[in-house]
Amino acid sequence: MRIHIKFSILLITILLASCTDVIDVNVPEAEPRLVVEASLDWEQGTEGNVQTILLSLSTPYFDSETINYVTGAEVKVTNNNTSEVFNFLDNNNGAYTTTNFMPIVDNEYSLEITYNGETYSAVETLMPVTGINSVYQSKDQGFNKDFLEVNVTFDDPADIENFYLIKFQQQGNFLPELFDISDEFTDGNEMHVFYEKEEFKAGDVVEINLNGISKQYYNFIRLLIEQSSDGGPFATIPAQLKGNCINQTTPENYAFGYFRLTEVSKEIYTFK
Amino acid sequence: MKFKHTLILFLLVTSIIFAQDKSSISGIIKDASNGETLFGASIYLKDTSIGVLSNEYGFYSLTAPKGNYTLVISYLGYTDVEQEINLTEDQKFDVELKINSTQLEEVVITSSDSEEVNIKKPQMSVLKLNASTIKQVPVVLGEVDILKTIVMLPGVTNNGEGSSGFNVRGGAVDQNLVLLDEAIIYNTSHVFGFFSVFNADAIKDLKLYKGGIPAKFGGRVSSVLDVRQKDGNNKEFKLTGGVGLISSRLAIEAPIVKDKGSFIVAGRTSYANIFLEFMEEDFGVNFYDLNLKGNYSLNENNKLYLSGYFGRDDMRFSDSFQNSYGNLSGNLRWNHIFNEKLFSNLSLIYSEYDYEFELNLFEFVWNSSIKNYNVKYDLMYYANEAIKLNFGANIISYDFNPGIISPTSSNSSVNYFELDQKRAFEAAFYISAEQKLSEQFSLEYGLRFSLFNRLGGQAIATYENDLPVVYNSQLGVYETGNIIGETIYSKSEKIATFNNLEPRLAMALQLNESSSVKAGFSRTAQYIHLLSNTTNVTPLDVWTPSGEFIKPQLSNQYSFGYFKNFNDKMFSLEIETYYKTIDNRIDYIDGADLIGNNYIEGEILNGEARAYGLEFLLRKTAGKFTGWFAYTLAKAEQRTLGGNAGGPGINDGNWYNSAYDRTHDFSITAAYRLNPKWSFGANFVFQTGRPVTYPNGQYSYEGLSIASYTDRNSERLPAYNRLDVSATYTPNKRPNKRWKGEWVFGIYNAYDRKNAAAISFGQNTETGVNEATRTAIFGIVPSASYNFKF
Repeated sequence: MRIHIKFSILLITILLASCTDVIDVNVPEAEPRLVVEASLDWEQGTEGNVQTILLSLSTPYFDSETINYVTGAEVKVTNNNTSEVFNFLDNNNGAYTTTNFMPIVDNEYSLEITYNGETYSAVETLMPVTGINSVYQSKDQGFNKDFLEVNVTFDDPADIENFYLIKFQQQGNFLPELFDISDEFTDGNEMHVFYEKEEFKAGDVVEINLNGISKQYYNFIRLLIEQSSDGGPFATIPAQLKGNCINQTTPENYAFGYFRLTEVSKEIYTFK
Repeated sequence: MKFKHTLILFLLVTSIIFAQDKSSISGIIKDASNGETLFGASIYLKDTSIGVLSNEYGFYSLTAPKGNYTLVISYLGYTDVEQEINLTEDQKFDVELKINSTQLEEVVITSSDSEEVNIKKPQMSVLKLNASTIKQVPVVLGEVDILKTIVMLPGVTNNGEGSSGFNVRGGAVDQNLVLLDEAIIYNTSHVFGFFSVFNADAIKDLKLYKGGIPAKFGGRVSSVLDVRQKDGNNKEFKLTGGVGLISSRLAIEAPIVKDKGSFIVAGRTSYANIFLEFMEEDFGVNFYDLNLKGNYSLNENNKLYLSGYFGRDDMRFSDSFQNSYGNLSGNLRWNHIFNEKLFSNLSLIYSEYDYEFELNLFEFVWNSSIKNYNVKYDLMYYANEAIKLNFGANIISYDFNPGIISPTSSNSSVNYFELDQKRAFEAAFYISAEQKLSEQFSLEYGLRFSLFNRLGGQAIATYENDLPVVYNSQLGVYETGNIIGETIYSKSEKIATFNNLEPRLAMALQLNESSSVKAGFSRTAQYIHLLSNTTNVTPLDVWTPSGEFIKPQLSNQYSFGYFKNFNDKMFSLEIETYYKTIDNRIDYIDGADLIGNNYIEGEILNGEARAYGLEFLLRKTAGKFTGWFAYTLAKAEQRTLGGNAGGPGINDGNWYNSAYDRTHDFSITAAYRLNPKWSFGANFVFQTGRPVTYPNGQYSYEGLSIASYTDRNSERLPAYNRLDVSATYTPNKRPNKRWKGEWVFGIYNAYDRKNAAAISFGQNTETGVNEATRTAIFGIVPSASYNFKF
C-alpha cells in the first residue's frame, strides 16, 4: 500500500516518459555470483510434491545471453520440524527437481547447496495464503478508462501482519507483472489489486498467482520490484539486493536470489 | 570558549558605556521613485573612515565626534546625495535616492545596488542579487527564476532540470534555510522543480549566505537564502505583469496613504494543463501563487509590515489520482526605532507546507504537513563609530504531521491510519558585534545559543537492546530492530532536549584601497531533517524533528577568501576556499522505506559529511556588458559507520561521494545592452555529472532480469552542459506614455544537449533485453513572453 502513495511520483515519471531515449552506457562488471531461485510454492488443492530449484550465475548487465545455468551442484532441503530431507536432482539444465516434497504450513525448512566446493545455506518458513475471492475484468476502473484491466480480490485475515506477492503473467508475454502487498493500512479488509494494460483485448489469457510471503521476503521482493521498475529522476537510490542464501564457506560470496516457501492461490483469467 | 566570548562582550559593553562627546545621525534610505527602502546603501562621512550600510529596512545610524561633516549616501545605480551636517546633537535624516538618469541615457547599466563586492565588511561567502539582475538571466520557457539564477553562482548547484531545491557547498537541499520575508519556506519548487516558488515581480532582493552565516540566523547547516518581497510603491499606482507561454503574472502596487503606507499584490498562474499538449494521456498540471505585502508608517519611529505568500501545485491523472501541495506563510512585523542608535524589529510569523494525495481507485486520501509559529525579535545597536551590535531572540513551535491516511468511502479497502504526530520547540538567543579595530582590520563575532525540545504527546517505540537498526551479519544487511514496547510521553513531557553554542567569527583585513582578505568560521546546528532517499527531493518527502533517535546536525565551516575591486569597481573578483564538516548527517540503510513509516529510526543510520572546495567569481557590474564568470572545484563526501547497529556501515564504512558532489562547476552569465531597444543575454553551464549508482551485473529471477548494483554513488552521470540565449526588445518609449512594454525571446538549451536528469536501467518491455534509458527533460526550448509596466 505504501507503494500506492508513491503513485504521485509515478505520475511525474509518466509525464517525463516523453523525454526519454535509450542510450549506450558503460557500466562496471562484477565477478559472477551464484543465483538461487528456490521458490517452493505449494499450490492450494495440490500435493505440492514436485518442486524445482533453479541455479545460475550472474552475467554482465548488457550481456544478451541472459541466463548462465549452473550444473553439478548438490541441492537438498530439510524440514527442520520433522528433520525430513528432500534431495533435488540435477536436470543438467540449471534446474534441480524433487518429486517427494512435503509442504507443511508454518514449518521451517533449510536449504543447502554445495557448488564449486562452497556451501550455501538458507532458512525460511512456509507461509500460508488466503485464497483469491474473485477475478473480474473492467474497463472504466483503473488508471485509464480506455484500457482493460483484470481485478483480483482476496480477504486479509484481521489482527495479524500479512504480506503478499501477486504475479500476473500474460500468456505469450514473457515479462510478468509483480506487486508486493502489505496489510499495514488495510488489515482485515478485502484487498483489491488490478493489472491494466493498453494492449489487453478479448481472448488474452492472464495467469494470476497470489503467494503468502514472509516479512523478510516481502522486504526483499519489494525492493526487487521497486528497482526493476523505471523510477526516472525520482527513483529510490538503488542498492544491492541481498537474499537469504548465505555462503558458509566464504561469506562475502553470498548468493543472489532467495529461498522462499509459500502457499499459492492460482487463477487463470481469459478476457471477454 | 564560553569564557572568552563573555570576556569580549564585556569589554565591548564597557567601551560603549565610556563613549562620550559624540552624536549620532540616523534615518531611512529609500528609492525616490517608488518609496521602496534600500538595503545595503552606503552612508559615510566624507574624508573619515566612519560609515555604515543601511539594514534590510533601509535604516542606518552613524556616530561620530561632534563637528561639521559632509554626509554622503551612495548606492550603485543611484545619484549620490551629499549633505553638509553639523553634528552637535543626535539627529534624523531620511534620504530618497534618485535613479541615476544620466547613466540610463548613456545606456550604461549597472548591476544596480550594492552587488559590488564589499571589501571592508568581514561578511564573506555571501551573494546578493536584485530582481533586476535576475531578470537579465535567460531562463527556460521565459519564466524568470531566482533559483535558476543562484545555481549559476559558484558553490551552488542543483540536480539539473526537474529537481527541487538547490545544494550549497556540497550540502543537502534540506540544509538550506529558505526565508521569504522571514517565513520559512519548506519546498521551493513548483511542478517538481521546473519553476521556483518565487515570483520575480514581487521580489526586491535576495541574499544567499553560503558560509560565515551571521549569528542572527540558525537552524540549517549549509546556507541561508534570505528573500525579501517588495514593500509596494508608496508614490503612485503601478501595474506590472507578463504573459508567457507557461504562465501569466500580474502585480499591483499602490500607496495606501501617500508616503506613509503602500501595498503590493502579485499573482501568478500557469495555464490549465500546461503539459497536456505533450501528452496523449489525460494529465493536468497546474500551479499558482499569490504574494501580498502591505506596510504602514504609524509615525517616524514605528512602521508595520504585513506579508503573505500562498502557493499551490495541483496535478491529476484522469479521475484516478490527484495530488496537491504548497506553502503558506504570513508575517506581521513591527519596526520600532527606540532612538538614533537602537533599531528593532519584532516579527510574528506562521508558515506551513502541506502535501495531499488522493487515489480515487483505492478510495483513500493521504496528507502530510509541517507547520510552525515563529516569533523573532531582532535589535541593532549602533554603539559608536567602531561598533555595531546585533542581538535578539527567536522562538519556533513546530507541528509535524508525517502522514494521515483516510478512506474516502465506506467501501474503501483502506483503514484510517494516523502516523505519530510530532511536536517540537526551538529557541535561540544571539548577540554579535561588528567592530572596526583599525582602518584596515575589522571583525564580526557573535554567539548563538540554540535550544531544541522534542515535545511529548506521542509514544516512542523501545527497541531490543536499544537498537532501532541492527546489522544482520548472516545476510549482511541492515534491518529494523525488534520493537519490544513503547514509552508514552504526555504533552507536558519532553522526549528529548538539545542545546548548542554556535560561535560565529569573521574578519577582514584590507590590503589596500581595492583589495582585502577575509577569514571566517561558523558553527551551526540543525534540528529538523528532511527524509529523502530518492535521487531527487520530492514534494512528498516529510520533515522530522530530532529526538530520541535522530541527533541534531552540527556543522563547522572554515572559509578564507581574497576580494578585489578593479577598474573603478567595474570588475570584482572573489576567490574563496572552504572546508566544512557535518556531524549526525542522516543516511539511509539500503532499501529504506520512508513513506508512511511510523518507525523512521529503523531505516536510518547516523553518518557524517565533509565538503571542501575552491570558488572563483569574476563579475563585471557596470558598462554595456555585464555578467559573471564562476568556477568551483569541490568535493562533497559522506561516511556512515554501523555504530551501535554493528556491521561495516554504508559502502563498507568508506567515505563516498554525496549525491551533490560536483568536481567541476563552470558557468558564464552575460548581458549586453546594444541600444535602448535591444539587449541580449546568455548563460553557459558545464558541470561534472552527478554521482549515481549503476548496475554491475544481472541475473534472472521470477522471469525478470534483475540488476545487481555497485556501491552507492560510485559512478557518475555524463557531464551536464547547456547554453541559453535571450533577446529583449523594448519598443520606442513615448515620453508621455506610462505603458512600457518589452518582448523577451529566449532559447533554452540552444544546442539541444540531451542532459540526463536520470539514467535508469531496465528491460525493454517488448524484447526483454536490458537497456539504459535516459530522461532528458528539456531539449531546445524556444520561448517568447511579453512584460509590461504601467
